[in-house]
Amino acid sequence: MKIFVKVFASLRKKYPNITDLNPLEMEIDKGTTLAQLIARLNFNQEEVKIILVNGLRASVEDIINEEGSIISFFPAVGGG
Amino acid sequence: MEFGYMNKWLKVNLTLKEFKDFSISEDILRKYVGGKGIAVHLLWKYVSKLEEKGINVKDFDALSSENMLIFATGPVTGTRSPNSGRHHVMALKSPLTGSIGSGNSGGRWGAKLKFAGYDGIVVIGKTEKPVYISIIDGSVEIHDATELWGKNSIETSNHLRNKHDKKRAGVSCIGPAGENLVPMAVIINEEHRAVGRTGLGAVMASKNLKAIIVEGNSKPNIAKPDEFNLKVKEHVEKLKENGVTGEGLPTYGTAVLVNIINQNGMFPTKNWQTGVNPDAEKISGETLTEEYLIDKHPCWGCVVACGRKTKVDKGNYKITYTEGPEYESIWALGGTTTINNMAAVIKANHYCDIFGMDPISVGSSIAAAMELNEKGMIPEEDLQGIDLRFGNADAVIELTWMTAFRQGLGFWIGEGSRKMCQHYGSPDLSMSVKGLEMPAYDPRGAKGIGLNYATGNRGGCHVTGYTIAAEILGDVDRFTTEGKAELTKIFQDFTSLVNSSVNCLFLTFALGLDEYAEMIGPITGWDVNSDELLTIGERITNLERMIINKFGITGKDDTLPKRLLEEKMPEGPSKGQTVDLDTMKEEYYELRGWVDGIPSEEKIIELGLK
Ligand code: SF4
Repeated sequence: MKIFVKVFASLRKKYPNITDLNPLEMEIDKGTTLAQLIARLNFNQEEVKIILVNGLRASVEDIINEEGSIISFFPAVGGG
Repeated sequence: MEFGYMNKWLKVNLTLKEFKDFSISEDILRKYVGGKGIAVHLLWKYVSKLEEKGINVKDFDALSSENMLIFATGPVTGTRSPNSGRHHVMALKSPLTGSIGSGNSGGRWGAKLKFAGYDGIVVIGKTEKPVYISIIDGSVEIHDATELWGKNSIETSNHLRNKHDKKRAGVSCIGPAGENLVPMAVIINEEHRAVGRTGLGAVMASKNLKAIIVEGNSKPNIAKPDEFNLKVKEHVEKLKENGVTGEGLPTYGTAVLVNIINQNGMFPTKNWQTGVNPDAEKISGETLTEEYLIDKHPCWGCVVACGRKTKVDKGNYKITYTEGPEYESIWALGGTTTINNMAAVIKANHYCDIFGMDPISVGSSIAAAMELNEKGMIPEEDLQGIDLRFGNADAVIELTWMTAFRQGLGFWIGEGSRKMCQHYGSPDLSMSVKGLEMPAYDPRGAKGIGLNYATGNRGGCHVTGYTIAAEILGDVDRFTTEGKAELTKIFQDFTSLVNSSVNCLFLTFALGLDEYAEMIGPITGWDVNSDELLTIGERITNLERMIINKFGITGKDDTLPKRLLEEKMPEGPSKGQTVDLDTMKEEYYELRGWVDGIPSEEKIIELGLK
């Protein structure tokens, strides 16, 4: 199943070329959880603070169900 | 009051060119702490005084010499407690909104005012010719400022620091936009830090007051220095360990929000016609950091340093040094206008800083003009050849300086989107609350912030109660209306307390009310706890509300633009959403003890405001 991964802010230290305009296309197995995807990307779970699947909040145990899903990973961010 | 305060306020009557010191009693300080709290208390007393004189505060003109302008610090300001260089400024009335005038600024001016020997300054009246005030080591003077009139914020600050031979002095000043009485003019300090919202620069200008320079060597006494130092150390550690204050803000500045807000489908785009901007990456914090950042830049005593020193190396918008832009400016000047060009945003933001204007209101009003133009509402002759399409960066730059100098369509932009959209026959296109342009979060994607915009005393503002911290950056369900009344109330009251302390609101990503008790307690010697502090915040919010009630602002004004209430978000992750404001508002009034936006008699008594 094909998905698109976007990483932001300090998570780009590992993947400087993955941006909103240039997401990473990945093949994953059906039933893959976000935790597994995080591990596959060589992140540890503590550094990923916010996960959005197609713009909606998700947690590490969630399974990626939909073909073509956009998964966005953020570290702790804030401002105002 | 022996500790935390300088125990001296300055009252300046510019009409009489007189000034005198006064002090605030300890029981009033304990009730309102400082900063915004004391300012609101003084404004409330002033309202009574005006009413006694038979002046109707409802019809009172914000640019008349009677308007009162207050610069205020609090017990935390200027201490070793982190991020405490800030100050709060208020005016009885805002020329932009007709509601209360209020704004908070970083920089170092707040700390320097205390070092100069004062907790705050109250200004009334108006001089015939331009003047500036110097407060240096407790000595106050009013000087002629004729030669400064017309100078921008950088020129003014440099001139005064050189003239007084005080290289590190704090200078608060107005730029040409203020002098031209643009209702969205700001008061700038340290060249790039602004008391940004509600047009306080125009109020200062209407008094012919160009600047206030402050410097000195006094320091507030600390009641329990050992305990205080220990707590400072702990608080700094917490700030360093926290992901937002320890890494996100220092590395990327507040612009780190561009992507996350856009990924949530609530980054207002094309004057809020949608919440999705496919090119937001081009104006993101990541892009700013990679391509334009020289260095980070802290305010006085700040351990976070969200400020940016930036440059544009090449192209039409080249600039060798400036500061910013921060998230809101980027969004307003570059996002809702859809120009998506960081170099142009940096240039337009620089103009806002040097001419002295609020980039949120400027950018948002330009975007409203773009939509008016899209709908054919602006006559050809008013456009004067400007190609006012969404996405045209040159039009944004051109209109920014035209706004400062009140040229052509810039006149209407400067009046604010509410008046401009009324003038061009489409009042619903103004994305403002109580006449204040809303900031960069579409509440169709986070309902609590909608309630906060609607109920904010100064108008559509995020830093009245930043529920985004919970709804987007935290774990609270963003679409539900449930629990949002309570969330909003707590955020608003806590913020009132922060702005009275006075230190930086960004501390609250890492520090809560308990830590505020750990600052204010040892500084002042008071035995305070978090409940008392939150009640103080509530008291301030309510007294501010009682002032705006005097202007006739009530429940009917606690609302949102029709677009957010009725037009479904057309696309993206927040698709199909509107804001069900009435449900939240009813619960909010109930919690607040307000009836139709007016504090009830019981609430007034409960908070000791009778
Ligand atoms: S965090 Fe930013 S706004 Fe706050 S005091 Fe530091 S530099 Fe100033």
